[in-house]
Amino acid sequence: MDQADFGYEGRPVVRGASLVVRPDEFVALLGSNGSGKTTLLRGLLGFLPPLAGRVERRPELRIGYVPQRETLDPLYPLSAYQVARTGSWRDLPFWRLGGARERSRTRAALEACHAAEFASRRYSELSGGQRQRVLLARALATDPELLLLDEPTAGIDPEAERGILDLLRKLRETRGLSIWMVTHHVHAMAGRADHTIVVSEGRVQRDAAA
Amino acid sequence: MSELFSPDFLFRNAILGGLGVSLLCSLLGIYLVLRRLVLIGVALPQASAAGIAAVFWLTGHGHAGAGDTHLLALAGSLGATFAALGLLALGQRRARHPAEWGVGALFAISSAATILFVAINPKGDIEMAGLLRGELLAITGADLRLVGGVLLAVGSLFFLFRRDLLLTSFDPEFSRTLGRDPLRYDLLLYLLIGGGVGLGVMMTGPLVVFGFLVLPALAALRVAPGLVAAFAISAAVAVLSFLGGFWISYRADLPAGPACVAVAGACWAASGLVMRLRARRGAAALLLLVATLGISHGCASRFEAAAQRAASPLPRGSLPEALDSRPIAVLPFVNATGQPLTIPQGFLDDVIRAVGGRPAEPRFTVPDALQQRAAFELERRGFQVVWVPEEQRRTLLAGEPLATSGVAAPAGFAGPVLTGTLRRFTLTGTGLLLVQLDLALVDSQSHEVLWSGAARRPVPIQSALTWQEILLDAGAPIFADAFGNR
Repeated sequence: MDQADFGYEGRPVVRGASLVVRPDEFVALLGSNGSGKTTLLRGLLGFLPPLAGRVERRPELRIGYVPQRETLDPLYPLSAYQVARTGSWRDLPFWRLGGARERSRTRAALEACHAAEFASRRYSELSGGQRQRVLLARALATDPELLLLDEPTAGIDPEAERGILDLLRKLRETRGLSIWMVTHHVHAMAGRADHTIVVSEGRVQRDAAA
Repeated sequence: MSELFSPDFLFRNAILGGLGVSLLCSLLGIYLVLRRLVLIGVALPQASAAGIAAVFWLTGHGHAGAGDTHLLALAGSLGATFAALGLLALGQRRARHPAEWGVGALFAISSAATILFVAINPKGDIEMAGLLRGELLAITGADLRLVGGVLLAVGSLFFLFRRDLLLTSFDPEFSRTLGRDPLRYDLLLYLLIGGGVGLGVMMTGPLVVFGFLVLPALAALRVAPGLVAAFAISAAVAVLSFLGGFWISYRADLPAGPACVAVAGACWAASGLVMRLRARRGAAALLLLVATLGISHGCASRFEAAAQRAASPLPRGSLPEALDSRPIAVLPFVNATGQPLTIPQGFLDDVIRAVGGRPAEPRFTVPDALQQRAAFELERRGFQVVWVPEEQRRTLLAGEPLATSGVAAPAGFAGPVLTGTLRRFTLTGTGLLLVQLDLALVDSQSHEVLWSGAARRPVPIQSALTWQEILLDAGAPIFADAFGNR
C-alpha cells in the first residue's frame, strides 16, 4: 500500500497510507473512535478501492476476516458450529456437497479457539467472548495467511479480552500467521503486538514498538 | 384424497395451485424474514396488483377470454413486481435514508394506483376485482404447470446455492473475503422473490401472498433448531395452513384466502405458545384441544347461520300462482354442457342437508345439485314438491324436457313436473359463473307447457372457492333469474 487514500463517496477518510503486510507479525491498529482505523482495515481487505495511491496484493492471498460481532444478525437459527463451518466453504464450489474435509477443518478451528465445548449451542445465545471465539474459529477455518480483526475485544470483560489476545498470540506462534487487529485498547496490547500503527485524524503512523 | 388428483374434480387446480403458491411463499419467506425485508413482502404484492390494474387499463380490458385475461394479468403482475424491485434496489444504493422509507412509499403509491386504475377503467371492473384479489378458482392447467415449474426452480436454486445464499445473507463482508459477490446473490434472491410474488398475486391475490411470505417463516424461525429445519417447518406450516384454511372456508362459508391466512396466523401464535410452554407439554396440548374445538364449533355455527339465511321464503315471481294444489315433481336435470361436472363427495352432503335435501348418491354432478336446489327454491316460493326417488333418477334422464316429462307419467308422477336442461356452466378466469339453464313446468298428462323460464345472468362468485360456496351463493341468484324474482 503506497500513499493510498481510502474513503466513502469520493471523500477520503484515511490519507496517504503506506504500509506493508509481512508474514508472521502481530500488528495493532490503534486509534480513537472515528479516527479512520476501520476504514483502513476495509482498504486492506479490498472492500474499499483506493481513491488515490496504489494497493498491491497477491491474488492468491488468503485472508481470514473477523468482523465486529454486532454486525451479525442473531435472528439466524445457526449453531456455533454452523457459523464456524461457513469459513470452510472458501474452496467449495456450489455444486459439491460439503464433506469430511470441511468438517474436520471446522472442528480443528473450534478446538484451536477453545470453542468446541459450546459448538452445538445456538450462536445468538452465546456470551460476547464465546461469540468472538466462534468468529475467530470461522476465520481460521478459511486456512488464512493473514488474519484481519475488527475490534475483537470491544464490549467484553477484561478476563475474556486477555483470553482472546493470548489466543491470537498463540495462533501466530503456532501457525506463523500474520495478524492485524483494530483496537482502541492501547494498554491491553502492551507486550503482545510486534508493531503498532496509530491512525489519527486520517493520518497513519507506523511505530517500531515491540 | 384421490379425488383431488382426478381431472374431473373442479377444485383440483385451485387446491394444487394454492398449495404451490403457499409452498413457494413459505420458502422465499425464510430469507425475506431473515434479511429483515418483511415490509417488502407487503409492498411487492401491492405493486403487483397495481401492475395488473394498470395493464388492464392500458389495454382497455373488458370481457376477454380467460386465456387473454391470465396472460395480461401475469404480464402486469411480473412487470410491476420487477420494476418495483429495481426501483427499491436503485434507491437503496443511491439514497442515504433507510430502506423502509422507499418500501413505505411504494406500498402507499401502489395501493392508490390500484384503486385509481380500477376506477378509471370503464370495462370489466368485476373481472378485474376478482383478478386483483386473486382467484383460486380461475387457476388453469397452464397456471399449475407454471407454478410447479417456478416451485421446482426455486427449490433447486435454493438447494444448489444454499451455502452461498446463507453466506451472503448472514455476513456479506465475510462472504466477500471468500470470493463470493453478495450483489450477485442478492440479485438471484430478488429475482426469485419477484417471480414468486408476481405469479402468486395473480393466482391467489396480495393478501395470501403476503400472509404466506411472512407467517409460516415467522412460525418456523421461532421453533426451528437450524436453517434446514426452518425451511422444512415453514413449508409444513404453509401446507397445513392452506389445507386447513380451505377446509374451514367451505365448512363455514368463508372466503378461502383470508381463512388460509388466518390459520397461518394461528400457527404463528401457536409457535409462540409452544416456545413458552415447552416445559409444560400437558398444558400446551390442552390449550390446543380447546382451541380446535372452539374453531370447529364456530365454523359449524357459521354454517348453520348461512343455511338459515338461504331458507327464508320468497314470492313466486313469474311462476303460475296456482297449480290446483298439486305437488311438483322436480325431474333430474339434463346435462347438455358436454362436461362431466362431477362433484367430489363428502362436504356436499352438508350443503344438501342444510337446504333440506337428501344426501347424494356416489356420483353427484352439478345438474344433480341444481335439481336439488330447484326443489328447495320451489318450496321457498310456497309450492309442494315431490322428491324423485333415487332409483328412478337414471330412468328419467331421457333427454330434452318434453321427452323427459313424457316418461314422468309412466313413472308414476301424475301432476306437473319441472324439467331442466343445463346448457352452460362455466367458471370464467375472473370469478364469474356463466350459466344457461332452461326450465319448464310441464303437465305430465297433457304434455302442456305450463310455464317456462331460463337463467342466463352471469353470477359473480368472487369469494366462492368450494362447491358449497358456489351452491349457497350462486344457487339463489340462478333460480331468482329463472323464476323471475327481480
